Amino acid sequence: MGGGRWLAGLALALIVLTIVGAVVALAAQLAPAALWTALGQRETLFAVGLSLRTSAIALALALLLGVPAAYLLARHPFPGQAIVETVLDLPMVTPPLIAGMGLLFLLGREAPLGHVLADAGLTLLFSPAGVILAQTYVATSIVVRSARAAFQAVDPDFAAVGATLGLAPVWVFLLVEVPMAGRGLLSAAVLGWSRALGEFGGTLMVAGATRLHTETLPMAVFLNIASGETEIAIACALVLLGLAFVMLLTLRALAGEPSSLSRKPARHARLVP
Amino acid sequence: MPALFLDRVANAVLGPLDLRVGAGEAVAVLGPSGAGKSTLLKIIAGLLPHEGDVRFDDRVMTRVPAHRRAVGYMSQDLHLFPHLSVEQNVRLALWFDREAAGERRARARETLALCAIDHRATRRPATLSGGERQRAALARALARRPRVLLLDEPFGSLDPATRRTLWTEVGALRQRLGMTMLLVTHDPEEAEVLADRTIHLRDGRLE
Repeated sequence: MGGGRWLAGLALALIVLTIVGAVVALAAQLAPAALWTALGQRETLFAVGLSLRTSAIALALALLLGVPAAYLLARHPFPGQAIVETVLDLPMVTPPLIAGMGLLFLLGREAPLGHVLADAGLTLLFSPAGVILAQTYVATSIVVRSARAAFQAVDPDFAAVGATLGLAPVWVFLLVEVPMAGRGLLSAAVLGWSRALGEFGGTLMVAGATRLHTETLPMAVFLNIASGETEIAIACALVLLGLAFVMLLTLRALAGEPSSLSRKPARHARLVP
Repeated sequence: MPALFLDRVANAVLGPLDLRVGAGEAVAVLGPSGAGKSTLLKIIAGLLPHEGDVRFDDRVMTRVPAHRRAVGYMSQDLHLFPHLSVEQNVRLALWFDREAAGERRARARETLALCAIDHRATRRPATLSGGERQRAALARALARRPRVLLLDEPFGSLDPATRRTLWTEVGALRQRLGMTMLLVTHDPEEAEVLADRTIHLRDGRLE
């Protein structure tokens, strides 16, 4: 067992060192002064602002659509649910580039839906609205899956008791089930937001890569690496990494995991009372 | 207080079953596990679909949803909402009453006092003892002064001394509030103390 543990420890160290090595190598490309200058560039600030704005709106839309949908899936089984759930999971497992291509053809001027939107004066493609569309598309899938698990973890008898207290179904949902699934729903929101913030392939297809127009953080990295302006690309990459780190820490806190800095290794596995 | 009538009530577990409980009467439902005792209470509370009719006096309740039945229901596992304090659990039952927030609060406090749990009003359910949780769940079930009170093995998990104390208190409360009551229990002594009469269920049917 000792040898096995040593080998597993080696594998763990290799994985952690590779991740830390990539981050450190990225950060080491710029001196602190140059990083500070790059962070203050108009293009970087635009990308940060656009990413935060669009991902926040995308998250709001994903929650608005995804939470009731997840509740329906968790509480009211229906024929063909497995097919519907598989369809909902598709955006998580297909490359976002393909999803973006599908949305492009769905909303293009030649497509019936795109035609209707154009007649109504709505411009989704190649605009910041297209960024929100692509981000909502990928975030909703994650929100639905996580929120469904959160609702399934709540004993449905709580809702039954709520009904006997005179609460109509909508109030049972808002006053009992949502608060009880709250931690899981917050996790769903954090996961959905991080996915929206990092969205690239779908955004590229639906919104395009136009500087200072549809330039989100991942798009800024792409555009500036392509044009050889590595300072802004690295600054944007580090901002994304920082945000991702904060979100992951938040997720751990929401999951109730103790800080590994304060945790002592257990000598034996034991049941938690 | 209404009399409670069940007319040819049936679902996959229960019946068909006829039952009449007089106004203000307390009936204990005894029977082995899986006999359909909890199912019977859930049908009366409007929580399970069924065939046949449930009536409170002359009013057919069969298509009345659970939140409009004015029934007090205390489940076996109590199901106190863990994110709310004891008082908030009780006030949730008064959420839609057309009276000022202050009056609702006073009514919640009065019910908590009635069940001798007002000293734990601000505590969360997880911090209460077994007996205190039982009192809190009873206070919540009584908050709207229901016409019919349904208790599903409410005292099963308590030690004998606490159980006997609660028997006395629930008996006194029922007399005071004059409720029609159905009590599911495994304990013939509990049925003897709390109920006016006892019915026995086996395989979903009355014996």
